[in-house]
Amino acid sequence: MTTETAALLEPRREVGVLSLGDAALRWKAEHPGGRAIACYPVYAPTEVIHAAGMLPMALLGGGTTVELTHADARFQSFVCSIAKSSLELGFQDLVRGVDGFVFSNICDVARNLSSVWARNFSDTFVEYLHLPQNSTSSESSQYLASELRRLASRFAEAFGAPVTDDALRRSIATWNAVRARIRALYALRIDSPEKLPITEFFVALRAATRTAPEESLLRLDALLDTASRRTERPRDRIRVVIEGAFCEQPPPGLLEILEESGCYVVEDDLFLGWRWFTDDVSTDGDPFERLAVAYLDRGVASSTRHEGRQHRSLGVIEKVRRARADAVVFLLPKFCEPALFDYVLIKQGLEREHVPQLVVEFEEKMWTFERTRNEIETFVESMLFD
Amino acid sequence: MTAESTGTKDRKYEGGVHEKSRELMSAWMGEVGRAEAEHRATAALMISGNCVELLRACHVLPLFPEVTALQAAIRHKSLPLIQRAEQAGYSSDNCAYVKADIGLYLDGGMGPGKPIPFPTVTVCNYVGCNVYVKWFEHLADVSGSKLFMLDVPFLRTTEPSEADVRYVVKQIEELIALLECVSGHKMDIDELREILAHSARAEDGYARCKHLCKRTPAPFDAYFDAINMMGPINVLRGTREAAEFFDDAVREFEDLATRGVGPLPEERFRTVVEGPPPYPYYKSFRNLFAKWGAVAVQSTYSTVGGIWEWGFRHDPRRPLESIAEQMLRENLTNRSIVARYQQIKRYVEEWNADALVIHSVKSCRLFSAGQGDMREYFTKELGVPTLLVESDLEDPRYYSEAQLKNRIDAFFESLEHKKLVASGGHR
Amino acid sequence: MNAIVYGAGVDVGSTQSKAVIVDESLRILGRSLIPTGANVVKAADEAFREACENAGIAREAVGCVVGTGYGRFKVTFGDAQITEITCHARGAHSLYPATRTVIDMGGQDTKAIKVGADGSVLDFSMNDKCAAGTGRFLSAAADVTGMTLDEIGPVALHAKDPVRLTSVCTVFVESDILSYMAQKKTVEDVLGGVHKAIASRTMALVRRVGVEDEVTFTGGVSRNIAMVRALEEVLGTRLNVSPEGHFMGALGAAIFALERARVAAARS
Repeated sequence: MTTETAALLEPRREVGVLSLGDAALRWKAEHPGGRAIACYPVYAPTEVIHAAGMLPMALLGGGTTVELTHADARFQSFVCSIAKSSLELGFQDLVRGVDGFVFSNICDVARNLSSVWARNFSDTFVEYLHLPQNSTSSESSQYLASELRRLASRFAEAFGAPVTDDALRRSIATWNAVRARIRALYALRIDSPEKLPITEFFVALRAATRTAPEESLLRLDALLDTASRRTERPRDRIRVVIEGAFCEQPPPGLLEILEESGCYVVEDDLFLGWRWFTDDVSTDGDPFERLAVAYLDRGVASSTRHEGRQHRSLGVIEKVRRARADAVVFLLPKFCEPALFDYVLIKQGLEREHVPQLVVEFEEKMWTFERTRNEIETFVESMLFD
Repeated sequence: MTAESTGTKDRKYEGGVHEKSRELMSAWMGEVGRAEAEHRATAALMISGNCVELLRACHVLPLFPEVTALQAAIRHKSLPLIQRAEQAGYSSDNCAYVKADIGLYLDGGMGPGKPIPFPTVTVCNYVGCNVYVKWFEHLADVSGSKLFMLDVPFLRTTEPSEADVRYVVKQIEELIALLECVSGHKMDIDELREILAHSARAEDGYARCKHLCKRTPAPFDAYFDAINMMGPINVLRGTREAAEFFDDAVREFEDLATRGVGPLPEERFRTVVEGPPPYPYYKSFRNLFAKWGAVAVQSTYSTVGGIWEWGFRHDPRRPLESIAEQMLRENLTNRSIVARYQQIKRYVEEWNADALVIHSVKSCRLFSAGQGDMREYFTKELGVPTLLVESDLEDPRYYSEAQLKNRIDAFFESLEHKKLVASGGHR
Repeated sequence: MNAIVYGAGVDVGSTQSKAVIVDESLRILGRSLIPTGANVVKAADEAFREACENAGIAREAVGCVVGTGYGRFKVTFGDAQITEITCHARGAHSLYPATRTVIDMGGQDTKAIKVGADGSVLDFSMNDKCAAGTGRFLSAAADVTGMTLDEIGPVALHAKDPVRLTSVCTVFVESDILSYMAQKKTVEDVLGGVHKAIASRTMALVRRVGVEDEVTFTGGVSRNIAMVRALEEVLGTRLNVSPEGHFMGALGAAIFALERARVAAARS
């Protein structure tokens, strides 16, 4: 079989993307003296990074293209793919161009990875941010503000890139605008999901996690404009919320299978860090404190942030209602403890509300989807024929 | 057990320390079992870097789900509990400690020995382990108890920042208010100081015991036997009984060390062990090492609750601050894995060990994720012979005796050969 | 010295039992290979008996027997038990004295062994639990393609564009392969992908102990030519592969047995 026919047979298998390092180098070529900082795609302090004149980028692992030959010797077989393939990027020099990495307390693996990374690549900037898990203490927002200030001062130390209050306020405004565009695209999908296929949306969001926000604004506007003018006819599909792939992102092929098999994905928890706040963050007052308060009070419901004020399932149930979804499809990354634990509480909440649900486990390296297609088709049939 | 019987060369692993520990722990389990009938307020708490003194001072009885889980495993009762949780939707890849505990509550709280009450309040001392957060969210949900999240910032450098300490102290004050409300007892700061003085005495004794393992032979196995000291130091810390327990332990081990008696007939290899033990097969696992005359002279697992051998003590003069410092800095769990390499390196050097044994458990990623890198560091950078074996601390399905035996035997065969060559002997 | 001294090694593996008899010049006089089956003690005995027959000597003439492999404690007539890790290192060293790294790939596990100049084990590493990538995985691949284990290697050599496998999980390999077959991938490319996946898994294992020339490939899978080539490609070096590769554990055990027999003979 020739490569061309293979590509025809498997159009969905891979979306050609630059490596993280090459994407950083390209941006730096256009922005001499600029620097790039990568974080996992759950909460990322994009405003602080941007206000220091740097490019925030999402660390998304190695996808299907990077073979693990070093990272497997460091992290055992029961560790999730994204942690290992991220480390592999380092060993294979595929992150050259990225000046620093900011990890946070999203899970035990990411925690350990942060120091293993620093040990193996000692000339790279690595910082670990402690995000508060106590959402109700009177000290939590002050604490987070101090963490963000500490991060800013580390940037100043390491790169001579201080973060002034004014610059941070301007960054907050810029990212407020990006998040508003992303919200508008989600609103479009909720309204007419046929106008914007999930894979196209996924690729656009992924691009936004490695593009300067000013440029993202233009691209997202263009997408919103093009998509809203489309005149696709809605098909007889079920509307689903996907949940669980907040850190290790699903292979695009898996998302395509979902829609091909009769679903419209109307809400999800993909690339959460780039749309973390459900509302604009205030640009008055102390910007560090404003970000901290927003993190605690207007953050998305997430498996990586403990919310003491409401049951974990309520955030998802609220999403189902708002998106007028018929069902929830859990896309659970193999070995991802936060996702696997939260699944149980969310599942129980959904059962109480009689929301149908399906579980699909995936891995970054997943390459064939036939088993999954079967499961999804059966699930859709069971709902459409009810 | 008397000194005479411990003096025999083929002394069993048991000793006065073991018996006393069992007695004390069983008295505590008895209290826990009666708590509901006696209408006593209880609080579930985690072992790692815990603040049990606060519960005591507020007259709230501590429950430790981890201890319940490990006791279920040691008594070969963990699997049905794990399966019960898996039926409820937990994955085979989730921490089995959590599953055994949740399975227990799903089954109505019948513990491995005595019934376990549903806690009045669930206090998550989030000290490094992110699974703790999930565990206690779930426990609060299944038991219907109120959850308090005591968020302890991860130790990012060698010292906590002022903001870290301020944040933890503030939360401690908020926790005290909640505990007082739960028990109806207003905390007396002088009582807390007295409790902390008991803690400091126990910590001192535990540290002295561990330093005695620098002697050859070590008077006890700092991995397998240390478990018996972990109950008193982590669960009963702050009581007079625990402090006295360690006074006795120091006496017993000093005597053994003076007489040159160790836990095995002959100490042929000195190891440092990293990682929690496989509780479902505790004895068989131990025997795989005993057969080779391998004695653990230090272990990291014995420091999950606190690292006491380097001098830190709770300070009655600075009650809340010293509790906060202990949670932030003076325990294994809240430190990075690479900081743990340095802890182990000191153990290997100062306790004069021949080798490092890493027991990698699937359940606990905090411990295990990255142990391959640890192995690289010790074998390639320090030249310390290192064995890495895998199983689990709670789930018996991950224990494969033949696999473990093969790796352990091969490791000691090679170590024996190296020793022989080093001593100028011949094959 | 009056009587000739012989040593025997009996390697009781999870699927097959092997025995080897050596004489004082470490020459292999006889060997046997039988399925282990359910009765492990009997299999060990049988393997030893056959090897003696094959060597043309009486059981009693053997000075010492060393048991190795998973069933080493079932070699009830053995004088000592030594793990197959130590034995493979010793066996490989006796055939290729410059060996510094041994890759042993058997039915249920793969080992990377770092070997000293004297043939002793300096360090070793074995596959993790969930990361099969061993002989068993190849058997599953052979089954689903309708071939025998001996056939798949030569076929895989003809792969033009080897497929990527989702994992090296023995449980899922069948459905992965079937879905590639449904996509009209050739059997050659599918099997090429299977070998490639195992080789890259093995590479991670070898890296743990460090790759040092010469590398000797032992164990049952060393007879598979496609696996030899795939490993050579990822390692970037030639492998020593002996026709005795399958018997390396038993050979190492026999050498240890001979050494012990010599010591005993000298004493008497």
